[in-house]
Order: sequence, then structure tokens, then C-alpha cells
Amino acid sequence: MKDEVRTIVEKIGGVVEEVKKSEIYVRIPQQTVRTAARLLYDSEAYFKTCVGVDEREVNGFYTIYHIFGLDSQGVDIVLKVLVPEEDPQTSSIVSEVPAADWCELEIQDLLGIKFGGRLTKRLVLPEDWPDGVYPLRKEFRYDEKPSRVIREELHEEAGIPVGPYHPALHEPEYFELYVEGEKVVDVAYRGFHVHRGIEKLAESPRFTYKQVPFLAERICGICGFVHSTCYIMAVEKAADIETPERAEFIRSIVLEVERLHSHLLWIGVAAHLLGYDAGFMHAWRIREHVMVLAEYLTGSRKTYGINVIGGVRKDLNVDKIDKTMKTIAQVREEFKKLADALLSIPQIKSRAVGTGVLTKSEARALSVVGPVARASGLYRDVRKDYPYLAYGRVSFRVPLYTEGDNLARLLVRVEEVFESIEIVKQLVDLLPGGSVVVEEYDIPPGRKAVAAIEAPRGEDVHFVITGLGRPYRWRVRAPTYQNIPALRAMLRGTPLADAPLTIASIDPCFSCTDRVLVVDIETGRKSFIKLVRGG
Amino acid sequence: MSIAKILEIALKTGRVTRKYPYEPPLLTSEFRGAVRIDPSKCWGCGACVKICPPNALALRNSGKEATLEYFVGRCIFCGMCAEVCPAKAIEVTKEFELSSTSLENLKSRVIHRLTRCSSCGSLVWTEAELKSVVKSSPIAEEYAVLCPKCRKSKFARAASIRIGVGSE
Amino acid sequence: MSSVNIARALKAIKRSIWVYHLNSGSCNACDIEILDALTPYFDVERFGIKLVGSPRHADLILLTGPVTRESLPKVVRAIKAMPRPRLILALGSCGVGGGIWWDTYSTIGGFKKLEDILRENGVEVDRVVYVPGCPVRPEAIIYGILLLLGVVEQKVKKVEVVASES
Repeated sequence: MKDEVRTIVEKIGGVVEEVKKSEIYVRIPQQTVRTAARLLYDSEAYFKTCVGVDEREVNGFYTIYHIFGLDSQGVDIVLKVLVPEEDPQTSSIVSEVPAADWCELEIQDLLGIKFGGRLTKRLVLPEDWPDGVYPLRKEFRYDEKPSRVIREELHEEAGIPVGPYHPALHEPEYFELYVEGEKVVDVAYRGFHVHRGIEKLAESPRFTYKQVPFLAERICGICGFVHSTCYIMAVEKAADIETPERAEFIRSIVLEVERLHSHLLWIGVAAHLLGYDAGFMHAWRIREHVMVLAEYLTGSRKTYGINVIGGVRKDLNVDKIDKTMKTIAQVREEFKKLADALLSIPQIKSRAVGTGVLTKSEARALSVVGPVARASGLYRDVRKDYPYLAYGRVSFRVPLYTEGDNLARLLVRVEEVFESIEIVKQLVDLLPGGSVVVEEYDIPPGRKAVAAIEAPRGEDVHFVITGLGRPYRWRVRAPTYQNIPALRAMLRGTPLADAPLTIASIDPCFSCTDRVLVVDIETGRKSFIKLVRGG
Repeated sequence: MSIAKILEIALKTGRVTRKYPYEPPLLTSEFRGAVRIDPSKCWGCGACVKICPPNALALRNSGKEATLEYFVGRCIFCGMCAEVCPAKAIEVTKEFELSSTSLENLKSRVIHRLTRCSSCGSLVWTEAELKSVVKSSPIAEEYAVLCPKCRKSKFARAASIRIGVGSE
Repeated sequence: MSSVNIARALKAIKRSIWVYHLNSGSCNACDIEILDALTPYFDVERFGIKLVGSPRHADLILLTGPVTRESLPKVVRAIKAMPRPRLILALGSCGVGGGIWWDTYSTIGGFKKLEDILRENGVEVDRVVYVPGCPVRPEAIIYGILLLLGVVEQKVKKVEVVASES
């Protein structure tokens, strides 16, 4: 443990349960969790997520893990709080750490633990889900289908509904924009339409360690490889499995190829939302080269399916390397011209400058991640802060803007396309020899690990507790999960016409975010309406 | 002029459209499509069923027959089944034109007859599995047709006779 | 309501088929492939296929996803809003068979179940084409639509072989 980290850990108090290379687990009593969270937040730690685990069969308690990342030291500090079975209640840390809002609600929905001292509402589970049924408790079977509960539908007076099916959204999500004249004064978000129960499924008897990567990949069809890699990294970290270097390089190359396709996709969609369909078509035309490359490297255009614990299933050969170099050179040349054309259009600039502003302090309070953080002046990039796979071996620049508006987020992504291309080039040059997979490994139960990856949309965090044959608990925190709460800050005061672009500017990926379930919100609803009236 | 810039790109690129289905699709040599099970090689051992993440492969036992069913409609095209198949009976093809107007057409089945233990009559193997085991391992025919339980007791009896203990 | 003459309807929309994209909780991969089919390399407007913003304008619904519990009532409403004949393309391994999460607590598991629920709600679906793929390639989507229109022949058929006889 470094001295700086030790000082912080000593200040927190509690029992240090486990110290690993990049994680420290500290058990603290319920009463001090709030002060500990405050202290960590004041010591430059970002809030990553909290995880609720039903560990009754292990130690007789429900456990909550609050994961904080000390980016400057590259260390995660995990606060562990035990919650008694008879009285599943604990104190909320939302007042100290606003970013913990959603994950506390999620724990309440899925595990039935109440958080004292805060507004609670249903977040993840569907509207018709009965009260008192908690999917993540171990006694709940993954394929149970509790009967529907009919709830009265409440209608909003002042809202402009956007979704769940709306031409501007490609995924079913529901936003309610409250407007005054042309200005948006507040936003209500009713998401989690894409909750498929993935975390529960992974701990069900249907799955084994080997199969979960394929499930992880399908959390999101755009950045699926990030999820499978992140899950595998967490398991490998927990079980001390050494992956061959060549496999780590191949994973890094595919991750960057995925980032290229994702950013090109987003830039196309942004152009479309700005009414510039020629830009959309050309961005997607260029993206098609990346899709063909991805299929050639992995065997599938999306959901690549080459990740396994211990390595990858497909090796690179001379032809593949050759094709990779040719494709990225071509993409670089064509995208440069397109980006020039796109950014020289005065209408695009005028639509994007000064709209959807997220200030640095708001970004910090909500612990936003990825391009959204970097456009608001936060220097955060997992590839630099916690170098994983082969990223410690390459040099690249992290684009940083301080304006926090839609243009800044656009520019960050445009620059990242070029950086990704440079990274792929360096990785291919440095590609070591050797095998790409280790077949023999052993995963002992009861180990914990946190892994994080810089996805195209920001930091993706996976937390794994190992079990027998399959994960005991697997928690996924997708980047969009952390970024959506920031939309409220971005949209307030924005003209209604800019709302679609602003919503898109965080590059929302709802399928990532919605693995678990949420519902309604009497109290939350009231407060939204009050805001409209008072505003 | 910004319009001139995009026009220049468009003119330089020209037409890129693949006129599928009148031109070949944009497939690469690595593409993983639907799998095909070779019924002449399949043993019906169920290794593929165990690894299949979405349960697109299922082995159903009706008492007389065991049916290996591949439902391409739920397949995720990962190719793990082909990787684990001990008989190399599963091949990953490049087939993606799988559209159908009924679900039944998306199913393919390999039906295996089951053999019974010659001593106690319980179901043991598929015929194909038995054949391949007899072929690949030096197991005597008289043992191969028994279920594991009967085989064990038969072996124990034979061994005890040989070393001369426990003969009633 | 008199029965719908599907053959006539298909003939009428053959060169201008308007599609509505209905995501019922999919992972996004099929959805971006649908968009991809609109872009230069595949350009489905060659066939007069156009993406529209409302099911009321649609000839065909592209249904992706396993139909989650939360989206189910909305999916039923969207399909109900569609004029007859209701043509549906169930896309991807989720749309066809419920996908990798076919039996979890928060999905209903594929089109078969949805069809039953639609029937219970008095919503008739006139024709369905199942398009497997995970995700479906843009070419597979084109193939599926052309199969619906009768431009291409169906390739897959039910196969049942007894192992020892082959």
C-alpha cells in the first residue's frame, strides 16, 4: 500500500479485510459509512458503484460494497457494509455522494434493502412487478415469473413525453420533458425497459464461468466486447489467472476496433440529429470498413464471441494484420476529410456550441465518465489511470475540453477516433509471439475482484465474487448508468429543439444500463411536478 | 464552402452499394454462420448441449430415442459446440440466409436410437456412442453392452473369481 | 372484419414497403444492423424500403429483442396501432426464440409467446417471417424482407435424420 493510500484508509477506520494490488477492502460499521464516503470523495476519489450481495449463506448478512476509485493512485477502495437479515436497512450515502443515487435504488429494488434518510422509488423493476419480490435474493429462482400487479396509470399534466417509442430514440426509453415555453425545465426518466435479468441469470445453474462471456457480450450490442473483456478480467484477477501477453494485445486491438465503430456510429447519429443526413451516410459508410475488419478478425460483425477465460479463441495471422493496417489507414484518411467537412458547417457549430452544458463541478459530483467527463474538463481515462491489458505499453493522448457542451463532446469523440487508430498501429507493431490462451486454470470460490475498462462511452466496471462453477455475484456498471443522471443537469434551460441532440450527446446505451429492473415513483413524481410549478 | 467538401467526398467515393441479393454479400472468410450437425458422425453425447449458452441445442430422451435438436432461431453463432464436439460432427457454416415463415423450419433434429443394458435392461448409450466407444477403446464386447452399474458388478465378480476370494 | 387478402396487399406494397422499427428490449446489435441496412453499402431504399416514425404508417414491423416484461404492454399497443395486414419480421435470436435470456424472470421469451399474448388481446398478426442471427446481418434483414415479398425462395427447411441410418 502506498503512503497516500494508507493515510486515507487509516482515516476511514474500520477493519482492513483484504489488500490486493489494486483493491483494498475495508469493512466499516453502518453508522460510519456516510462519513467514510464523504472522506473518500474529498480525497479525490470517484464513486464507481455500489453492489448489493445476498451473502446470507456465507456470513448471515446482506452485504453492500461501495466501490470508490482513487484514480490518481490507480487503486479501488471498497467499503463493505453488513446489513442484518432481520432488519434489512442501512444508511444512504446519497447526501454525500450524489452519484450513488441509482445504485442504491437498484439495490432496494432487487435485494429489498431500505436506505434510510432518502427518497425512495422504484427504479429497475417493471411497473407490474409485485412488491416484496426481490430477484437478487438467492431464494428467488431466475426463471420465476411473479404474477402481474395492475397499478393505476398516472398521467402527467405538464410533460412532453419522449418515448418509449420515438423516432429519435432507437431504444425503448421514456423521457418526460417538462417545458416552459420552449425551455426545458426538468426531465423525468423512466428507463429500464431493457432489463433482462442478466446478473441473476449468470448466477443461475444455466450458466458456467465459460459461458458467461457470451452473455456479457450481449449486455450491449455496440460495446459488447468491453463487457466480456471486463468480466473476464475480473474473474482472472480474482482467480490469479495469467493470460498470455499475445492474448492481451489481441483483446486491446479488438477493443480499439470496437471503439472506432462505436464512435463512427455516434458521429453519424449526431449528424443525423443535426439534420445533416449526408454526414450520417458518409460516417456509416466509413464505419462499414471497420465492421468488415471486425468480422475478419473475430468471425462476427458484432458480439465477436472470441473472448474466453484465459485468452482469446482466434489468433492474428499475417493476413489479418495486413488487413488491419490497410483498413485503419483508409479509415483515417476518409474520416479526416469527413470530420473537416462536418466541422466546417456553420449550422452544426451553432447548434452544438453552448447547448447541453455540464459544468465541471456537476460532472464531478455525479462522477460522470468517458467522453462526457473529458468534455467537462475532468481528466479521466481508465486506460491511463488503471492501465490494463496492453495499454501500459502504448502512448496516446487523452483529448480534454472544458466547455462541457455538445460541441466539446463531439470534438472529444472525433479526436478519439484518431487516437484509437494510433493505438491500433502501435499495438500491431508491438504484438508479441506465443500462445493466445491458457486452458488449465482453477477458480476458487469466495474471491472478489473489481475490473474496469474504458468503453467507448466511458468507464465500465465489473465486480465479481466467485462461486462454485459460476459467479456467486456479478455486478455490471455500464458507463451510461453513470452518465444518464447528468442529463437532468444538461437539459435544464436548454431549448426543446436541442433536447434530442443533448440526450444523444452522452451516447446513451440503454441496453447496457438496464440489466436490472425499476418501477414508479409516487414521491419522485410529486417532486418533479413541484419543480415545474416552481420553475 | 462546406457543401463543396462533402460533394468532393461523394464524387471521389462513387457508388459503394452491394446489390445484394443480386451481388454476393459482404462476407469475409472468417464469418461464423449457422452450424450443421453431421448425423453420420454425431454420437449424441450431449457435450454441445452442455456448452451452448442460449440452449439452442437440446437433447431429449423419449425412452426409445434420444433426439438432438438444433433450433437455429435461438442460436447465437458462437461456435462453441463445434469446438467441444468430441466426434467433430459439428461444422460452422457461412449460412446466414436463414429466414423462414415458420418456427418448425428452423429446427433440425438428429435422432439416436438408444441401447439397453443387456443385463438389467436400463437405457445406457446411443447406438452411435456405443459403436465409437467400442472402436476407440479396448473394451470387450461383453462389457460394452452393460450399464456402468452392471459392468462394475460383473467386473468385481470376475476379479474376485480370478484372485480366488469371495466365491460363494 | 373481412379477412385480409395478403397476396393482394403484398403485391401493392412490393415496391414501397414502409417499416417501423420496434425494439422490445434488445441489446442494440440488431438495431444498429437495421440502421446499417439503410446506409450506403446495403441501401435498402433500392427496394423502396423506408423507415417510418409511427406504427400507424407502417406496412411491416421489424421486431427486435426478447420482449421484456416492462416493454410488453407498449409492444402490444404499438402492434395494435398498425393497420391490417399486420406483417412482422421477428429479428435476431431474441426476436425469434427469446435469445440467450429466453427463460429469465423479466423477459417473455420470443415471438411465439408474444403471438399468444397478442391473440388474447384480440390483435391478429397476418404474417410473420423469422430471421435468425445474433446479430442479424444487414443482408439477412434484406433476405427476410424479400422472402416476405416472395422475391427469394426460402432456403431452410425442417430436417430430421436418424443417426444410424445415414
